[in-house]
Amino acid sequence: MRKKTSDPRAHETPAAGETIGAGGTTVENGLKELSSALAGAESAKAALSVDPAAPPLNQDPQLLSDFLVEAREHLANIEARLLEIEQGSQTGETLHSAFRSFHTIKGLAGFLDYEVIQRVSHEVESLLDLARNGELVLSPSTVDVVLHAGDYLAIWLNSIEAAQQGRPVEAPPSPDALLARVRMAATQTPDEEEAPPRQLETQQSGPDAPSASSSSRGRAGESSLIKVDTAKLEFLVDMVGELVIAQSMLRHNPDLHGVKSPRLQRDISHLSRVTGEVQKTAMAMRMVPIGQLFRRMTRLVRDLARKSGKLAELELYGEDVELDRTIVEELADPLVHMLRNSMDHGLEKPEERTAAGKSQTGRVRLKASHQAGMIVIELSDDGRGLSRQKILQKAVDRGLVSADAHLSDSDVFHLIFEPGFSTAEQVTDVSGRGVGMDVVRKHVARLRGRIEIVSTSGSGTTFLLKLPLTLAIIDGLVVLVGGERYIVPIFSVREIFKPRPDSIFTVEGRGEMVMVRDHLLPVVRLGEKLGIGHAGRNVEEGLMIVGESESRTFCLLVDELAGKQEVVIKNLGPTFKDVRGIAGGAILGDGRVGLILDLASVAGEAGAVSRR
Amino acid sequence: MQTTAVRAENGARSRHGKYLVFHLGKEEFGVHVLKVREIMGLQEITAVPQTPGFVKGVINLRGKVIPVIDLRRKFTLEEAEYTSRTCIIVLQVLLSGGAPAGLQMGVIVDGVSEVLTIQDSEIEDAPAFGDEVALPYILGMAKAKGRVKILLDIDQVLSRQELHGLEKLPEWTAEPALA
Repeated sequence: MRKKTSDPRAHETPAAGETIGAGGTTVENGLKELSSALAGAESAKAALSVDPAAPPLNQDPQLLSDFLVEAREHLANIEARLLEIEQGSQTGETLHSAFRSFHTIKGLAGFLDYEVIQRVSHEVESLLDLARNGELVLSPSTVDVVLHAGDYLAIWLNSIEAAQQGRPVEAPPSPDALLARVRMAATQTPDEEEAPPRQLETQQSGPDAPSASSSSRGRAGESSLIKVDTAKLEFLVDMVGELVIAQSMLRHNPDLHGVKSPRLQRDISHLSRVTGEVQKTAMAMRMVPIGQLFRRMTRLVRDLARKSGKLAELELYGEDVELDRTIVEELADPLVHMLRNSMDHGLEKPEERTAAGKSQTGRVRLKASHQAGMIVIELSDDGRGLSRQKILQKAVDRGLVSADAHLSDSDVFHLIFEPGFSTAEQVTDVSGRGVGMDVVRKHVARLRGRIEIVSTSGSGTTFLLKLPLTLAIIDGLVVLVGGERYIVPIFSVREIFKPRPDSIFTVEGRGEMVMVRDHLLPVVRLGEKLGIGHAGRNVEEGLMIVGESESRTFCLLVDELAGKQEVVIKNLGPTFKDVRGIAGGAILGDGRVGLILDLASVAGEAGAVSRR
Repeated sequence: MQTTAVRAENGARSRHGKYLVFHLGKEEFGVHVLKVREIMGLQEITAVPQTPGFVKGVINLRGKVIPVIDLRRKFTLEEAEYTSRTCIIVLQVLLSGGAPAGLQMGVIVDGVSEVLTIQDSEIEDAPAFGDEVALPYILGMAKAKGRVKILLDIDQVLSRQELHGLEKLPEWTAEPALA
């Protein structure tokens, strides 16, 4: 075996022309040769190119990254199609589409001389071809094999990418075992295969319709899409922001105010209308439908169900709801953990479900929708629900709450987000260590979102994730502190009030507290905290902002309120990465920069006092 | 293109080329034109808390937020009133360990005068002042038009370590006590 992965540069490869030529021949010969080749001969052949670092070096890096992007898209398509097939649409377009995707990957890999990828996709292609011609019915175990082949190719793609970026490469395992499995699956005639071609048939039901239709629509629309470098997009958004500011400065230019020209007025308002449209469009370009993320979860539910011996059906709604790309990426982890939680703790085994008078197949529902300027992601199952008593018991055992505390259902349910908290009696490889939900909470907090839990014992649990539409824009209060303007994100502001001198209390002569609606809250003098203010300033001259962050509540003392504005968050760059209390910068209406406060770190220790 | 040119310049340590000449007080300085992105008039600068005095703050450069350094303060020269000649030179700076493309930074100077082509023969190494080591951010001294110009290696002037003199205020040093 030639596994020279430690130093890709040590590996000299032939000139580009030769490589492509060789690749081409392999494609042509591959068809006949590979399907009939003996296992022994093949493993020798496979050994020749189990080295993702080898071929890329003489390849055009652009060509290679295009290949990676395209191959990954095809793998995603394959997975989605296979799951549809398993859900019952055994024939026609679905199968063709999966077949075509493998075929494309094979072709691309052949061109770039990735022999293993080519061989694996070729074998799977032959298998799917049999199914396409009706000579083979795809059973769940066959689908398993094909899915594994997809996973295997994904591993290869990752290695290739790693080699390309000069990261250490882990050699993918040999494809022999997989190829053998694929070939075995292909040789099984329909007769040998046990009767039920789809044992998960029960999963097929009405509500699936929306997902199927939207995915096929997605495929039809693919041809009209183009790929754009995110840096270019970011630049466009920056420029549009500047355009809006320039437009508004022109509009409010005092010299133009004296001009009484209806035509000028008309032109200016036309300009601002167009600018507004351009801005909206530029922002919309960052948005992607959440469907692609949802569909990835279908695979997860399937695998988890098969592993745990449960029957489950994932229903998807609102796949075309659009979210900022970065949010969709950040959402993947929490969704996986929540689904694991639902599958493992929520759904019962088929027997238990029958005993409880429910259908054997558990239903898990994933739904995205718009609500009051936020995106709401709803994950619900019809399992056994959260047990208030069990959670409370565990929490008391662990000393998280006192036994006689009066807690609302919601307070109790939120205990499951505590790190290390688990009511599972057994740790399985799916869940039980109390890590998952903690991860969910952290991610959601980072996305500036909130989680709500609704649960009825015996009939299921619903998690509601409320997220902002985008991370790039926030609504902010512009406040003045020591002559500078700062932006307080509005989602963490609860109220604003003018303090009276007698509402301030001093604790042991140090910390200041203020009484707000019968609650004592710590006071953070923003000016002093940031080292810019005038110490000892009279409280009644300023304004108090009641802020919330990570379940802490506190009061920020600022000088003045200067307005409310929607701002685009800009990174301050490495120069200021050690500055605490500042989350970024934003361009204000007059073109100047305002700094966005990071309330969590501004509050710091002060907030901990009032922590529940 | 920008970065390759700069790299070549650093590698060969060839110092001849075009320099933008600016002044701080009576002293004249030069910075390689390939480093200069633009020159703009002074504009309002937003101060960033917890930064050393020479970091004036940030400005909006066509939608990008970039830091601005007061070069007088950086070189511990006497402070002077800003005049109509005062301007901001936006530079492309490569920081050690930073992004390979570098980042943009503005420096405030008293005024810019001209772009000069300076030959190698006109450049001398920086003299060692007493027993101090030669300052790492001085490329050399150029004698042109009868005056001495201090040629700056701007990457060194604005190097990471220097900026990270941005000491944190005492109350920020302790991590907030997270339960």
